[in-house]
Amino acid sequence: MSVEKLTTLPEAAALVRDGDTVAIQNMATQAAPMALVRELIRQGRRELGVVCLVGGIPVDLLAAAGAMNRLIGAAVSMEQFGLCQRYRKAVEAGAIRVEELSETALNARLGAGARNLPFLPTRGLIGTDLIDVNDNLVMLDDPFGGPSVVACKALVPDVALVHAHKADRFGNIGYEPTALWPDLGIMPKAATTVIVTAEEIVDSEILRANPDRTVLPGFMVDAVVEAPYGAHPTSFSPRYGYDTAIHLEWIGATRDDDAVAAFMEKYVTGPADHAEYLETVGGAERQAALEAWEQT
Amino acid sequence: MSDWQNSTPADDWTIDELMIARLAACFADGDQACNGMASFVPVSAFWLARLTHAPDLVWLAGAVGLEPRPDRVPASTLEAPLWRDSIMYVEQFGDFWNFALNGRWLTKFCVGAAQLDRYGNGNNSVIGSDYHNPRVRLPGTAGLGDMGSIGKALYYWNPNHNPRSLVESVDFISCAGYLGGGSERADAGLEGGPELVITNLCVMDFHPETRHMQVASLHPGVTFEQVQEATGFELPAPEGQLPTTAVPSAEQVRLIREVIDPDNMRRREFGG
Repeated sequence: MSVEKLTTLPEAAALVRDGDTVAIQNMATQAAPMALVRELIRQGRRELGVVCLVGGIPVDLLAAAGAMNRLIGAAVSMEQFGLCQRYRKAVEAGAIRVEELSETALNARLGAGARNLPFLPTRGLIGTDLIDVNDNLVMLDDPFGGPSVVACKALVPDVALVHAHKADRFGNIGYEPTALWPDLGIMPKAATTVIVTAEEIVDSEILRANPDRTVLPGFMVDAVVEAPYGAHPTSFSPRYGYDTAIHLEWIGATRDDDAVAAFMEKYVTGPADHAEYLETVGGAERQAALEAWEQT
Repeated sequence: MSDWQNSTPADDWTIDELMIARLAACFADGDQACNGMASFVPVSAFWLARLTHAPDLVWLAGAVGLEPRPDRVPASTLEAPLWRDSIMYVEQFGDFWNFALNGRWLTKFCVGAAQLDRYGNGNNSVIGSDYHNPRVRLPGTAGLGDMGSIGKALYYWNPNHNPRSLVESVDFISCAGYLGGGSERADAGLEGGPELVITNLCVMDFHPETRHMQVASLHPGVTFEQVQEATGFELPAPEGQLPTTAVPSAEQVRLIREVIDPDNMRRREFGG
């Protein structure tokens, strides 16, 4: 008998505590668990640490809401939509402390966390200034006599937030054919608690038809929530593209505090739930356009 | 002999097309190339190389989509439309870095950096003297902090050659070049390093001993004085006449405009 993991967005987000270190799936404009991120802001979460490979709009929204005070990641950018301006402002004001890692160093820190090792080494970053400013990176002699490496201290996020195509009620997570990022390969395996939103909750028989597409086993997942278009306005390949209009609206708003507050009220704190959010951003008509990847 | 080899120099080339053709010439059959975010010039260059002199150049789009067949350069170089019809998805954590770190593959890497200094060190981290209290927070090192240290040949591209982007010393090294110059990079145990810097004014390389950046060729109509004026450090005076960068052929220009990037996405990198 498998353990029931299906819950609601508010209950799942309540598993995240103030001060937690939260790993967030995201690659610039791709695949962020946005429904969960908006719910964390709605619930007024504070002092979060965000772990990301390349954080985009979720990082900027969390920064704008004052929900985070540190970031561990390789980059923060919305790619074609530019830098995350609210995040940038907060860092420059000293409100967010940044632990900048290269991709292999981030993978090493998370990999060590996942495997219960004190550290894993990388050859990346040698010669850069990033080692000197980071206590979690230490040059280490090769005990076998080869060149020195960089020891990357284990990182165990309190929570990992992931968005997926399919999940059953027991937390088995299915992915449709698409490019995969470390978010799935390592983040959830390193984290203490794993929360997954899925485009659809399906019967386990659906996952059994393609077990090679099951990417996370139910035993390591703590909560699953059905959230169609749960990555919006980021893309979720192959189902839908990123929403250019919302990204541009956000970029426009970031220049002005009142506009940021209005954006937050309209899209984050205003809508009563995820369903109302989807209506606010254009409902079925908008979704059809995004599914056709019309702006990309 | 195929069309592109027969082709005469274009008479209406633009600077983006010249940079793309010059970067394409750096990639050959047997190489593997990958691109990251906001990389319209490298993506167009890989594609152009594959359509002309290097049909067997392997392209790993976005470091995840192997041998893709996009119908044109899309608005993003880090979104699924770029890796349409890939023959394989390379899982970014499990596979991509295994290939990149191994040493046998992906031996060349294109780098865009907010700041680049005279010894080829790149900075995408912070502007200002204190990392923890930066004057400007830049996006972050992403894969550059790895690629600079793991033996790759680095090809910098910079569509906006100016004294703010080409500086005497970067505020912070987030991509290792030749460090303090001379043998410093080798002394740190690092192989590879910066090869070329392709800008909208010229092509630069690095002196084999001092490792100082120097002009290798001037784009047509550009003088050394103009390049010096636009550079934030003193360039070594050229010994004799500097060569002129080859202009793209008419066929290369046609391929870029009609086949590769009909929506002119590459222009988005210029004028910033």
